[in-house]
Amino acid sequence: MTVSAYLLRRVAQLPLVILVITVVVFALMRVTPGDPVVIMLGVYASPEALEAARQEFNLDKPLPAQYVLWIGRVVRGDLGISIRTREAVTRTIADRFPTSLTLAAAAILVSLAVAIPLGVIAAYRRNTWIDQASMVSAMAGLSMPNFALALLLIYVFALRLGWVPVTGIGLVSVWENPLRAIPPYVLPVVALAVAQTAVMARLMRSSMLEVLSQEYIRVARSKGLREHLVLIHHALRNALIPIITVVAIQFAYLVGSTITIEFIFAIPGLGSVLINAVLNRDFPVIQGFTLFMALFFILSNLAADLVYLLADPRIRYT
Amino acid sequence: MSDSTLRASTRLVDAVPARSQWRLAIRVFRRNRLAASGFVLLCTLVVVTLAAPVLAPASPIQTDLTQKLVPPGPAHVFGTDHFGRDMLSRLLHGARVSLAVGLVVIAISMSIGVPLGLIAGYHGGPADHVISRMVDGLLAFPPFLLAVAIMGSLGQELRNVMLALGLVYAPVFARLVRGSTLAVREELYVGAAVAVGAHSRRILLRYILPNVLAPIVVQATVSFSQAILAEASLSFLGLGTQPPNPSWGRDLSEARRYLVDAPWLVLFPTLAIMISVLSVNFIGDGLRDALDPRTRLQRETL
Repeated sequence: MTVSAYLLRRVAQLPLVILVITVVVFALMRVTPGDPVVIMLGVYASPEALEAARQEFNLDKPLPAQYVLWIGRVVRGDLGISIRTREAVTRTIADRFPTSLTLAAAAILVSLAVAIPLGVIAAYRRNTWIDQASMVSAMAGLSMPNFALALLLIYVFALRLGWVPVTGIGLVSVWENPLRAIPPYVLPVVALAVAQTAVMARLMRSSMLEVLSQEYIRVARSKGLREHLVLIHHALRNALIPIITVVAIQFAYLVGSTITIEFIFAIPGLGSVLINAVLNRDFPVIQGFTLFMALFFILSNLAADLVYLLADPRIRYT
Repeated sequence: MSDSTLRASTRLVDAVPARSQWRLAIRVFRRNRLAASGFVLLCTLVVVTLAAPVLAPASPIQTDLTQKLVPPGPAHVFGTDHFGRDMLSRLLHGARVSLAVGLVVIAISMSIGVPLGLIAGYHGGPADHVISRMVDGLLAFPPFLLAVAIMGSLGQELRNVMLALGLVYAPVFARLVRGSTLAVREELYVGAAVAVGAHSRRILLRYILPNVLAPIVVQATVSFSQAILAEASLSFLGLGTQPPNPSWGRDLSEARRYLVDAPWLVLFPTLAIMISVLSVNFIGDGLRDALDPRTRLQRETL
């Protein structure tokens, strides 16, 4: 199967996957135990307000009709308005998403910068204490919840040492005053990056081990190439290929898992809005955010597959 | 040849290598120091969990406002929180929540995911198509985000945390089992069972399921530790265990406000979460090595 045929099939499957996604998101409001309108507006809401909300979400119509009407609005870019703030959900997403995206991108970059050298060294010195120490600490990083790590970081670096502030993201633009805009990012980015680093270092190590056992590495060594050239030019370049896919997957995961970090550091991103929406049972916001993130996730995975294909001509999907 | 004679003969042929496969796996697993210590830690944790009411020096929810924020010391080994509750007792009881969530979540997600994966992989055709697209759709959601959204619709309660996480982790099992089933389906012994007219349910349960068990076991450990972390996160955000019930995540959430005066309130629940997740992860890694013939061969020859 050629590359284009594979891609065509992937794209052809998209509509079905998106259909499933929309059904799940639609169901979020309908599977709630009790009357969703009462849950949203509270038991003290006036009958008129409840009736108006029922009309707004078409809850008086049969389920299939509700779904079709909802999808019709979503397709036109209308994700509804928040029950609490009466702000359009698309508007909130547009306002908040860049912050979450910046946070996730910074975390990925930091973790790659640490994980790639770590994985390479661990693979090169496999079964030595360096390998074991780095892999055990990677496992420890994986086992620590990011919010607990965030609290410990706040305690040590903000409260005790006073090196960096706890909050303040979004108060100053990076372009206006980078010296004041960047420090508040340090702790949240580190808290997010630790688990990512662990995942990628482990992957980098196994990918590197696999490449190092290949024939052409032996050839490169036996023709007398210097070891660092073998490692970087021959091994690393091929070992990096599987990392591409994982970066894309982890990136989309991260945008989702910034939720707790945004909550702790009072960061005005998507996550903190979502928490408030869930606590207030603000269904249009929950649905809009979930739908947006799922679409973002599948599109970034598709993009990663594309890059993967371009990066490695040996890969042919069947 | 009838089904029973086939069963008898395959049992004769297969039973010996099959059993030694598992025995070999256990031997490799035991020789892996990290995995073995993870196993010992987890067993200790289970014992502690079961014996929490006996081991705990005080009630986990009994408040004593004269004993607020007492640092770790002889009276309270892990100190007390802002209500004067003994942290050691809360941690011991919190372990019950974490382990129960881990167990129930993998039970729910396996009982949804494994049958769907078996059906999709074995029958193929339209059933496979429908199940696979459903799995793709569910896997399109960042798992924690979907769990948060489901909590928004079901309501904040521990029972719903288990339900939400169980649903969110199910598609991973379905995809995994489908993949392994596709491979096992082509084996000769499955063809033989079909030829003698065995029911497809019987083939799935007796011939295919045992042979796709290894990756399921490894995935179960991964999901178990993810579930513990996710419950802690949800409770931390106020979406999981509700006060005054003890939960490591919930305790961390409250400790956040006393970070300056009582850092031990953050330290101990964090350590508790880390140790339990770490031990499960070590077990998972050990199982992966022990059950995968390729890495096992490497280790045997080293």
